[in-house]
Amino acid sequence: MVDPARFPGVWRAGEMDRAMPAGIPSGHARLDMELPGGGWPRSSLVEILHDGAGLGEVSLLFGALKTVAEEGRAVAWINPPHLPYAPALASAGVPLDACLVVRPAAAEDALWSADQALRSGACGAVLFWLPAKTDYAWLRRLQMAAEAGRTLAVLFRPTSASVHATPAHLRVLVTHRAGLLHVALPKRRGPPLAHPIAIRIAGHPVRHGGGCSSFAGGTGPVPIPRAPLAVRDIARHASRVSA
Amino acid sequence: MLWVALELPALPLQLVERAQAAPMPLVIGEGPSQRPIVAFANAAARQAGVREGMAVAAAKALAGDLKCIDRDESAERDALERLAGWAAQYTPAVSIEPSGLVLEVASSLKLFGGLAKLLSALRGGVRALGLQATLGIAPTPLAARAFARAETRGIPVRSCTAMPDLPARLADLPLFLLEWPGRTLELLADLGIVRVKDALALPRGGFSQRFGPEALAMLDRLAGRAPDPRLAHVPPARYRARLELPAEAEGVEAILFPLKRLLAEMEGYLRGHGAGVQELDLDLEHGLKRHTRLALSFATKEREAEFILAIAREKLGRLVLPAPTIGLRLVAERLLPFAPREGTWLPGREERAVGRARLIERLAARLGPGRVFGIALADDHRPERGWKNPPAASPRAAFDGGARPAWLLNRPQKLVAGAAGPTLQGALALVAGPERIETGWWDGEPVSRDYYVAANPAGETYWIYRERRDPAAWYLHGVFA
Repeated sequence: MVDPARFPGVWRAGEMDRAMPAGIPSGHARLDMELPGGGWPRSSLVEILHDGAGLGEVSLLFGALKTVAEEGRAVAWINPPHLPYAPALASAGVPLDACLVVRPAAAEDALWSADQALRSGACGAVLFWLPAKTDYAWLRRLQMAAEAGRTLAVLFRPTSASVHATPAHLRVLVTHRAGLLHVALPKRRGPPLAHPIAIRIAGHPVRHGGGCSSFAGGTGPVPIPRAPLAVRDIARHASRVSA
Repeated sequence: MLWVALELPALPLQLVERAQAAPMPLVIGEGPSQRPIVAFANAAARQAGVREGMAVAAAKALAGDLKCIDRDESAERDALERLAGWAAQYTPAVSIEPSGLVLEVASSLKLFGGLAKLLSALRGGVRALGLQATLGIAPTPLAARAFARAETRGIPVRSCTAMPDLPARLADLPLFLLEWPGRTLELLADLGIVRVKDALALPRGGFSQRFGPEALAMLDRLAGRAPDPRLAHVPPARYRARLELPAEAEGVEAILFPLKRLLAEMEGYLRGHGAGVQELDLDLEHGLKRHTRLALSFATKEREAEFILAIAREKLGRLVLPAPTIGLRLVAERLLPFAPREGTWLPGREERAVGRARLIERLAARLGPGRVFGIALADDHRPERGWKNPPAASPRAAFDGGARPAWLLNRPQKLVAGAAGPTLQGALALVAGPERIETGWWDGEPVSRDYYVAANPAGETYWIYRERRDPAAWYLHGVFA
């Protein structure tokens, strides 16, 4: 009897899929250890779930974007909520001439653009923001396109999407706690990583002990009280996702 | 020398038929306008009992939904010229004959991998253009034409590639294939001479006296006893093609089929010239001098019909046509030298660049200009000017300022500021700053701001600033996503 776990794409529950092709290093050693293939997948759909903006959810990928751009492939930003800001990308080392920003007027154009960019094979990474009601069939299609074009496809969604099934092979839950980015992997080729890893993003300003030291303003210092941090119960959230 | 003749017997019919996807009864009428007669009838019309030579009125009585189109000889001539342009991809020696082409292919055999492969490429290519041609192969152009015409009439012939075999292959062909004047053919028939071998056996002096020196010269050229040089067709330096649709086409989908054939023809023409196009105009004619013009332009020189069709399809999809389309016109004013890209097993940097350019074209064709762009650094300290759209890419490669957010808002958004400071879904705590940016006083758009990094209770980090002139006014300008 042949051990089924020796076939590519088959792995035992409780173990990581070792047959995965080498991934794109994320630039965070702790995260690479937890990602199947040792990095972001090279030809697959990844979902990044986050609530709100400004957690570092995009900066988390800068290491991978730098790698694929240096391989000579493009980085496409499809329907981003705001403009990807050139100085930030440049300081992270992402070559700007590799970047391609697409701002479609209609929701279906966004889906179409993502599909085209993935399928073309010209892009090493495609980051996209899709309308909230994108259905499973479309995501499945994008997953197939990512495989066909050998492209890292990253879909950004709110955490409320975690109750829906996904064709993505990797689901990343991004939260924020005590000035650090916390990354959980509710779905991966292997056991879900419920206990989040804390990651420090280079270039992402981190709040230290007492906020800002001085306010240089027209009228002198303005006291700004620190609000207590609302810490989310990530473990509870993650267990619900993996259930 | 080896000649291939392409004979297009029902060219007027084919020109109309190739613009329609599904066959329908169709005849080409010619003669006086009061009583036109059927010059050509297609298979569907023949099935209904229509025959050539019948009055068009009688034909219409036989087939109710019969479509009759007047013969347009200048269009046929144009079509043959365009076909000659298309055939130039196989050999430079193409010349136009009354109802077809002859191609000298001996020098192209090696390039195309032998005669069989060349012929199958020709047959497939002609079919893709929506035309039907019979092929004749012989060492002299006249013999090749005779073979092609024989095949059109259903007379079995075998192609001949060597001069010594030619007289034997020609021997049994009927003389009427040679396009001699009817009077000459009648005289010969009266003498009992109906086949080529009989004519070749006649004494030369008497033949020349009786039927004229031209008939004898033609017989010599046919059998390869005299040289038959041909002037190669020189196509014009710009490309123009027009296709009349047999019926009004509603909407865009109905145009794509004939457009594909036009583009395939252009691709052959461009291949024959080692040329590509970067700008292409497509006119959709609606009649009454109204037309819709679609300008296609590409980042690099292109000639592949499939790619151009894909771009045109996206552009057409965004058009609302004012009226049904009755004709298509394709114009390329400038033909540019085209260096074919070598196919490689592992795509290199250059192929990737081409792939990216094509992706951008495809996206821009559907989404419209200005919706697909790149980003680059600009030499300005004002954050809203710290980036720009290439192609005017700045040589500045690195940014050496302070922390910059991954997202920049299109325009700064005013924040609600309480007594304790600015708020955005909770009070904002200042994490870093201030970074003073005060510049631009010389061009009328001065900025004088103190930038801070601020975080709200949920840990969302923002880039905000305070106007120096108005310390109570806080604005959100970026998001550290």
